[in-house]
Amino acid sequence: MKPPKFEYHAPRTVDEALALLGRYGGDAKVLAGGQSLMPLLNFRLARPAALVDLNRIPSLAFIEESGGRVRLGAMTRQRTIEFSPVVAQRLPLLKEATRWVGHLPIRTRGTIGGSIAHADPSAEYPAVLTALEGEVVARGAKGERVIKAADLFQTYLTTTLTPDEILTEVRLPAMAAGAGYALEEFSRRHGDFAIIGIAAVVVRDGQRCKTARLATAGAGPVPVRLRAAEEILERDGLGEAAIEAAARKATELVDPDSDIHASADYRRHLTGVLTKRALVRAIGVARG
Amino acid sequence: MTDPRSVGPAALPRLVGARVARREDPRFLTGQGSYVDDHRPARLLYAAFLRSPQAHARIVAIDASAALALPGVTAVLTGEEIARASKPVRAASKTPAVKVTSFPPLALGKVRHVGEAVAMIAAENRYVAEDAVERIVVEYEPLPLITDMERALEAASPLVHEEAGTNLLVAREFARGDVDAALASAAVVVRERFRFHRHTAICMENRGCLAEYATGSGTLTLRSSAQCPGIVRDVLTDLLDMPEHQIRVIAEDVGGGFGAKASLYPEEIATCVMARRLGRPVKWIGDRREDLLATTHAWDEIIDAELGLDRDGAIVGLRAQVTADIGAYSIYPWTAAIEPVQTISFLPGPYRVPTYRGRTRGVATCKTPLGPYRGVGRPPAVFVIEGLMDRAARRLGLDPTEIRLRNFIRDEDFPYKSPSGIVWDRASFTASLLRAREAMDYDAVRAEQARARAAGRWLGIGVASYVELTGIGSAIPVAPGVPIATGTEAATIRVDPAGKVTAVFGVASHGQGLETTLAQIVADEVGVPIEDVRVLHGDTALSPYGTGTYASRSLVLAGGAAIMAGRAVREKMLTIAGHLLEADPADLVPAAGRLAVRGMPDRSVTVREIARAAYTGVKQLPKGLEPGLEATRFYDPYYGTASNATHLAVVEVDRATCHVSVLRYLVVEDCGRMVNPLIVDGQVHGGVAQGLGAALLEEIVYDEHGQLLSGTLMDYVVPSACEVPWMEVHHLETPSPVTLGGFRGMGEGGTIGAPAAIANAVADALAPLGVEVAELPVTPERIFRLVSRGP
Repeated sequence: MKPPKFEYHAPRTVDEALALLGRYGGDAKVLAGGQSLMPLLNFRLARPAALVDLNRIPSLAFIEESGGRVRLGAMTRQRTIEFSPVVAQRLPLLKEATRWVGHLPIRTRGTIGGSIAHADPSAEYPAVLTALEGEVVARGAKGERVIKAADLFQTYLTTTLTPDEILTEVRLPAMAAGAGYALEEFSRRHGDFAIIGIAAVVVRDGQRCKTARLATAGAGPVPVRLRAAEEILERDGLGEAAIEAAARKATELVDPDSDIHASADYRRHLTGVLTKRALVRAIGVARG
Repeated sequence: MTDPRSVGPAALPRLVGARVARREDPRFLTGQGSYVDDHRPARLLYAAFLRSPQAHARIVAIDASAALALPGVTAVLTGEEIARASKPVRAASKTPAVKVTSFPPLALGKVRHVGEAVAMIAAENRYVAEDAVERIVVEYEPLPLITDMERALEAASPLVHEEAGTNLLVAREFARGDVDAALASAAVVVRERFRFHRHTAICMENRGCLAEYATGSGTLTLRSSAQCPGIVRDVLTDLLDMPEHQIRVIAEDVGGGFGAKASLYPEEIATCVMARRLGRPVKWIGDRREDLLATTHAWDEIIDAELGLDRDGAIVGLRAQVTADIGAYSIYPWTAAIEPVQTISFLPGPYRVPTYRGRTRGVATCKTPLGPYRGVGRPPAVFVIEGLMDRAARRLGLDPTEIRLRNFIRDEDFPYKSPSGIVWDRASFTASLLRAREAMDYDAVRAEQARARAAGRWLGIGVASYVELTGIGSAIPVAPGVPIATGTEAATIRVDPAGKVTAVFGVASHGQGLETTLAQIVADEVGVPIEDVRVLHGDTALSPYGTGTYASRSLVLAGGAAIMAGRAVREKMLTIAGHLLEADPADLVPAAGRLAVRGMPDRSVTVREIARAAYTGVKQLPKGLEPGLEATRFYDPYYGTASNATHLAVVEVDRATCHVSVLRYLVVEDCGRMVNPLIVDGQVHGGVAQGLGAALLEEIVYDEHGQLLSGTLMDYVVPSACEVPWMEVHHLETPSPVTLGGFRGMGEGGTIGAPAAIANAVADALAPLGVEVAELPVTPERIFRLVSRGP
């Protein structure tokens, strides 16, 4: 488990990094926190000619709030997000999700941009990005573009980012004041990737549901936005029957795969169970 | 003879029985351990192995020219080349139960499992070595697959070992009385097909070895992460055709073994051959992928069992058949028999079983070889017998603890000979169960369970009682028929002229704290403070003849040898002191660091003065007394001794997610006289953690092509600190009547009891649904299927 030979670059600016990516014409990999890429290299499953390390680019690590949204630099560590007052106040769902990411040493190195660009469908951040209808900023040789969550994830470990692009920023709309939220997750062991995870946000007006947002982790090749389940709540309110119906609908909206930890049937079952739990908890903490 | 510690006002406190902090821990915790990979001799080469991607295939050709052409690559070794330098390993057995087969150090002719070593590279560093491995071109011709143990027994099945003429490499039967008649007339018969899946040990330190061949002296030194340096040294002598005194095997600090490092491995042989050929040191450190592919796996058995009882719940007979998937090779020295024979031997458990027939079969398949792992055979055996006892209790309307109390071997039955021929010297079956009930407040927990059930919760209580054989002497070998000496160990205790003690053992500590426990025994016997005792182990050049540490033997055997050698040294010290003080040795009493004449504390001599006299002063020694102050003694406990425990687990199964939470875990264990309760607690904790992994989480999974699907630690799920519950550990101390010191072995017990206790607790939780737990690990997925399907 030693990687094959690769060249290593540690640029100081995004422009330098982009120039390096261009030089290798798609044969270089961007290194963020390294929590997924390093094992892939050691298993020789990834064999890039070069690594372009973003860890020496200070401008990529920040959390800023403006105009009703929060911008997070791609190299912001998960540990920083976990303890950020801005995140706690404006994106409490992201804070809660961060507690489910790996273990302390992993969160200390791991970054939000790395997790999203890696696009493991069992990871928490892609689900949060999807539930909150966030977007990412990609910079390439031809400039900058903004990609919506719904347009980003293609399949397992695959995004619409091109090999000469760098994900530089994650943008999430600030959650409405009083919004209820929850991230429910089931894994075989603490800190593991989700077998199923459900991110939920509920904005309520009494028993009426102004907005519901639901997204999955682990329920297929990409995070699944459970729009038809959200609509049940937005239409029928937040009563027990509506929650049950939304949870049942959720099981119909996913098409999970089987692996050695869980069958597709069991994952579908868990999707319903956790959707219900996430909604009950989110509604419980929602004000308004 | 005078007790060296317990007499006199300034007597040394007795150390055996005290919670002495582990003396090795400061070294480990400050990064000063000395593991194989810490050693980097000059001119070192690094090895990597090419491993088979195929489960069963003929090797048509190997072309290593591109690998050798890579800068930094020194040499390559293939199966054909190594066959000229080493014999194939043949795990011999004197019993007809085992068909002996060959295990070539590198695949020869064909590969028999994914991960089998096919070729070895030695290079300037591991990176280059792995690059070179990728450049070796092997042409394989796929052969028919053999991955299902039951289908491998069919007449038409292809063979793993043509030389055996069958895939059935182990077949053995134990019988007592007419079990068929007993079951035919039993009031109740419960039967089940149990499945205990494949597991592996997962040591923190992966396997590794470092061989150095000194061309000048012709000596070979192998550092290895082995539990059994003596066994490795002995077999290398034969395989490499070198004299025994020219081979030194060192297992200094070893980061966990759990039985998985108690066998000889191909990499050890290949590393020696490469070092000898090149005249340069060669080191191989296995990575985690290699560990999962090529360190022995464990258990993997199907057990069909039937238990008959009379109307009162007394056992009348037990009939069982064990089928074990022993994988591709019969491992040295234990052979393919170790797991299946152990399982069937221990199946009757701590119960009076008047009639028994147990058949066992070990079947070769194209998977990683099966070897010993903490508990060997007994975790599945206890899962089966305890599962049957619970099924019987449910049928008869008895509490699970009550049915056990009615069937335990009673105190008046000892020594009791089990239906498979094991003699239980003395144990505390009834006492341990009663104590566990009391410590848990069992009736209160049952009442709580009733309330939880009424509220729709799935709460369960599981009981498991077991007995194991430890400290095994020469009468019943650890592995029947295996021609190695597992029944004895030795100790050399040397007091130097400064009065300090060095004790050398042939056993090898790999995390058990033997440097502490053996030092406690030595300090007590010689009569010195523990600070004055240094324990050396795991080095065949330093120690008297021994094999190593496995089978819960080291404290009993090495501890017994320490008592004998310590007493011999002590006796000589008294003789010399008596001479120096002109007193009768019988009148001498110990004080701190000295011996004094009884009632005359001023007339005394220090240990240091005695020791100096022993070495330097001819006139200070009684006439005719040989100078020096050391002794070597060998100890053989002959039969071995029982060790037992009762485990109680309380679990809750989440009705919606099927997740199992262990709410309480309680152990009442009896390992005889405890040398160090702190270490006993630690051994229980670690053992239960591994047993919990076996019960709920861990499973080696192959697909139908023999490919390993659980090839990383994301897929092979071992419990982390978050999954291991708080444990309440209670001790009974029934000194063994048959071992020196009254010690019993206890390193494996936690893993033996926990799978059954947790399985029974889950089954108890689900009992209202009418489903049974017959398969471990009982994962959330399996529970989901059980409860979805219903009874």
